[in-house]
Amino acid sequence: MLDVLDVFNIDLIRAGIRLATPILLAALAGAICNRAGILNLALEGKMLMGAFLGIYITYKVGNTYLGIILALILGGLVGGIFALFYLKYEVNLILLALAFNLLALEVTVYFMRILFGNVGSWTDPSINRLPEINFLGSETNEGFLSIFNNHNLIVYISWALVVFVYIILFKTPLGRHVRSIGENQEAAETLGVNVARVQVVVLVVAGMLCALAGAFLSVGHMTMFTRNISNGRGWRGVAAAIFGFQHPVGVFFASLFFGTADALSLRIQSVSDYPPSLVKLIPQFSTIFALTIVGLRAKFLVNLARIKFRRNLDNKNK
Amino acid sequence: MKYILETKKISKYFESSNVQANDDVDIKLSKGEIHAVIGENGAGKTTLMNILYGLVSPDSGEIFIEGVEKEINHPNKAINLGIGMVHQHFKLVPSYSVAENITLGMEPRKNKFFLDKKEESKSVKELSNKMGLEIDPDSLIKNLSVGMQQRVEILKVLHRNAEILIFDEPTAVLTPQEVRELLKIVKSLAKKGKTILFITHKLGEVMEVADTVTVMRQGSVVGTKKVKDTNVNELASMMVGRDINFVRIGNPNKPGEVVLSVEDLMVLNEVGVEAVKGVSFEVRRNQIVGIAGVSGNGQNELVEAIVGMKNIEYGNLTFYGDNINKLNVGKRRDLGMAHIPEDRIETGLNMGANLEDNIVLTGYKTDQFSKFGFLLKKEMQKFSKDIIERFSVASAVPGEGVSMLSGGNMQKVVLGRELSGNPELVIANQPTRGLDVGSIEFVHKTLINNRDNGSAIILVSVELEEIFNLSDVVVVMFDGLISGIVKPEEVTLEEIGLLMAGQPIDEDKLIQYKEMGV
Amino acid sequence: MAITCGLILASILLLAADKSPIEAISSIFRDAFTCSSFDRCNIFTTFALATPLMLTGLSAVVAFRSGIFSIGQEGQMMLGAIVAAYIGHWVPLPDNIHSIVISIGAIIVGGLYGWFAGWLKIRLGINEIISTIILSEIAILLLLYLVNFPMRGDRGATAYSPKIDETAMLKVFAPGSKFGTGFVIAVFAVILVYFYLWKSGKGYEQRMSGEAPRFAFFGGIKSEKAALRGMFISGGLAGLAGAIEVMGVHYRINQGFNLMNLGFDGLSVAILGLVHPLGVFIVGIFLAGIRMGAQLGLQFTLGIPRELGGTIIGFMILFVAAEKLFQKIFDIDLRSKFRRKKDA
Repeated sequence: MLDVLDVFNIDLIRAGIRLATPILLAALAGAICNRAGILNLALEGKMLMGAFLGIYITYKVGNTYLGIILALILGGLVGGIFALFYLKYEVNLILLALAFNLLALEVTVYFMRILFGNVGSWTDPSINRLPEINFLGSETNEGFLSIFNNHNLIVYISWALVVFVYIILFKTPLGRHVRSIGENQEAAETLGVNVARVQVVVLVVAGMLCALAGAFLSVGHMTMFTRNISNGRGWRGVAAAIFGFQHPVGVFFASLFFGTADALSLRIQSVSDYPPSLVKLIPQFSTIFALTIVGLRAKFLVNLARIKFRRNLDNKNK
Repeated sequence: MKYILETKKISKYFESSNVQANDDVDIKLSKGEIHAVIGENGAGKTTLMNILYGLVSPDSGEIFIEGVEKEINHPNKAINLGIGMVHQHFKLVPSYSVAENITLGMEPRKNKFFLDKKEESKSVKELSNKMGLEIDPDSLIKNLSVGMQQRVEILKVLHRNAEILIFDEPTAVLTPQEVRELLKIVKSLAKKGKTILFITHKLGEVMEVADTVTVMRQGSVVGTKKVKDTNVNELASMMVGRDINFVRIGNPNKPGEVVLSVEDLMVLNEVGVEAVKGVSFEVRRNQIVGIAGVSGNGQNELVEAIVGMKNIEYGNLTFYGDNINKLNVGKRRDLGMAHIPEDRIETGLNMGANLEDNIVLTGYKTDQFSKFGFLLKKEMQKFSKDIIERFSVASAVPGEGVSMLSGGNMQKVVLGRELSGNPELVIANQPTRGLDVGSIEFVHKTLINNRDNGSAIILVSVELEEIFNLSDVVVVMFDGLISGIVKPEEVTLEEIGLLMAGQPIDEDKLIQYKEMGV
Repeated sequence: MAITCGLILASILLLAADKSPIEAISSIFRDAFTCSSFDRCNIFTTFALATPLMLTGLSAVVAFRSGIFSIGQEGQMMLGAIVAAYIGHWVPLPDNIHSIVISIGAIIVGGLYGWFAGWLKIRLGINEIISTIILSEIAILLLLYLVNFPMRGDRGATAYSPKIDETAMLKVFAPGSKFGTGFVIAVFAVILVYFYLWKSGKGYEQRMSGEAPRFAFFGGIKSEKAALRGMFISGGLAGLAGAIEVMGVHYRINQGFNLMNLGFDGLSVAILGLVHPLGVFIVGIFLAGIRMGAQLGLQFTLGIPRELGGTIIGFMILFVAAEKLFQKIFDIDLRSKFRRKKDA
């Protein structure tokens, strides 16, 4: 099985980190929304919008950094619109998310074709992608530490965001309010926490995170936009948020897990003859596997509680 | 003398349930007073408290805080005025610590952006010591006992400088030791100058801890007395009301064989606390067994366990001698059980569906309404029209929705559906709540009819008049147990009231549960 | 139904706020109608396209009415198509029996796939939206694999499976289009689903479980069984859609089989059709018209990307969802006024 051993090497982990990044950003967005009691299923759509806005604005403005920042702001706006429809007009969350995703998919391609001609995908040589950053010096291009070096800027930003989100969620009053809304909304409400305001903030931030994820796809690693460039990563973000139990660190590892599964599948495809479609199943199965674990754990905990009660009851009756 | 809190003629009418929840309610509180408010569920106590806490706005009437009229339209306003509410259902975040829950919404900050956890713990510890409510500020809520969790709720309120504390049924979820602790705390808080408003239906507690007690019934204040000037008996009578019309409808039938036998039944409520703690009784054909008691003493859990909507933790249910513990709702219905639920909106009806869909719930598998698995629309329509006529369900049309009906008419639909199949056992839980006099009479007549035709009927009601007039035997429940089984013609109103309050009465008047058929 | 029409106007107006040139707007109007008028020849193609839309729409309707938001129609369709392509070519059977066997096979396989997603939700609490999407992706990949390897029937660049036998193909009514037996089957399915949900005992259980679970529990209905049953039927309908696509349109499965996203469009059909079979019938044709009009009219005639069609649909869904709220507000007002009048 020599070709299989070819697969597992440093490059795999590097690829895994890279592929995990958009999932991670979306998952962070999903995690904070879940913490605030909102199951945000529109991550895929927001990511697509971020991807398109990122590349388009960069093209118009000529500067990648500026383009991304503007895309972030617009992403926040999109999150705000989502919040408007959900909170003010009380639109059914699921329908809203589905509509959002559908719209994002169609509208982005629509504009691409309107603006750049009837193409399937689009790129332009004037667009610069974001650079890799060489942190640890060029001697570390071999060996273990090279895993962490020479990644795209956004990859490092995403790591920083993990820490940032952690701090905000657990060390600031805002974070505490967010978490309390998800756990017991009444507790927060009766103490005067402005639930609606916090939820809007959360949704706006989520929009920005997804936009960043999308921008990474379109101008981060490569510079290109195609129909459905996100290809399910938003949904894997939703799954990663659940699999990471809504905790920034958990989400980090969950995204890494999914990213590595993606990388594994790509790697196997390139070094072996196994049918690509079968190999592509690896990431899908890994997602189902992850969700199954979460579900089993929940069931287990419920049963544990029931067993405890029974035991108490029996002891009392004896 | 200036009162710290005074209400004048507070009134509130709820259109959605056609209920006058508060009718010209006057209450006066002096500083440092412990004032109990007692009354049945539906008497209006909760509405009054919600008004005082800003969760509900009154239709009319004024509230005066220290002599100045104030409008309380939001809990934040109430908090600012020094009013704090200790809720019956705790509003705590389980994974947070004591200090975190108490300071939620007003966290002390370090450098404006970050939480100052040390300061939180410190200030909570100080407060808890000062108030005599010792607690570890860093322990997590989910690891605390119910009594301790309640302490956190109290500290939450004190932390916001509440001077007037409203306790909503605080002892409902406590063990006897925890109750004693709580009453001690309440007394010490009053000594420290806090004013306490204490909602309860446990008369013993009132006598032990309160200075003054106000009795409410059906939205109005029946009377206010100084606790030292009254006793449990008097309070019990005031609570149940004197205007009971005793027109006992006799039962010419002799009770037949035992349909349902309940033995040592134990049932948990939603949060896992024992609600039914060991109940035994029997129901026979041609008999109506009334279950009396203040709401919340386990009656609902008992009903749900009998029909199959809740699990039985211990004990046995037998139907005509066969054990039915493990049967699900559908199978029990197939045996001949009918259930008129307390909550007609969520449980008894499907508000989003039309009349036929609601009516056919009990019959869609029977031959009357289905052939080869297909529903016979004509039959359903005929049946619906029939029920509409017989029960005078005004403004109901078969094809249209039920959400447009008034509460009373909705109940008639439920009754029509449940009672027309000649069920073996009928469990009616508050069947006449919200109905007009004519409909009440009709319901009673129908129940009597079913009884005469051989049905066994369990009637759970907080309306003593109803229980007295219809039941052959009355089971009084208190705190998850049966405080007594009596024959209605052999006891006085006061005695029933005492049983409902968990107080003992003359032993001779009590019946053994195996003798309910005599 | 009037609601939906209002939505169309609203959505078109919204499109007017687009950055597209003004001529496009007027031509959108024209095309929206052109689609149905010079569609006198095109209307058959529209019907042909409506067939799978109706079936996947029905699939979503049954699932939603049972209280499960399954959006896995795409995947179930793929499985149905695989069954059709396989039995169609490798299992020779006499005329007519062949298609019937294929249909049954597709329904069973699709049904099991749907049932599985329901099982995941009920037993493991896995959110059905995520699970059905992933299951769909798995099914799509499975089809890709089969088409490229075991079931490959060509040597060319794009893989496709061998053509199915004549005995398995569905009759076509109007030559030049694919409008044929498939459409009839779809219409039949519409009627069946209606009868099932509203006229049968089992369907009643399903609706009540989805609309008012506590009420269903109170009445003795086993909601979980009903929901699983609903998922099986839902999957089966989508599977049938896939099989019909193979038997009546493409006669094989190929690499781009899922490109038209018929499964997801079926979702839109269900939502816009207000989750009712009749709505699915009407909206199915309507949506097919929009897609066709966008593709032919806009793209060919005016060079406007066909995604406009999808965009219109997306906006309509948004407004249907919001509309429910506006409706509720108006209804509540009316109701309380009505009751006051009665009590007076």
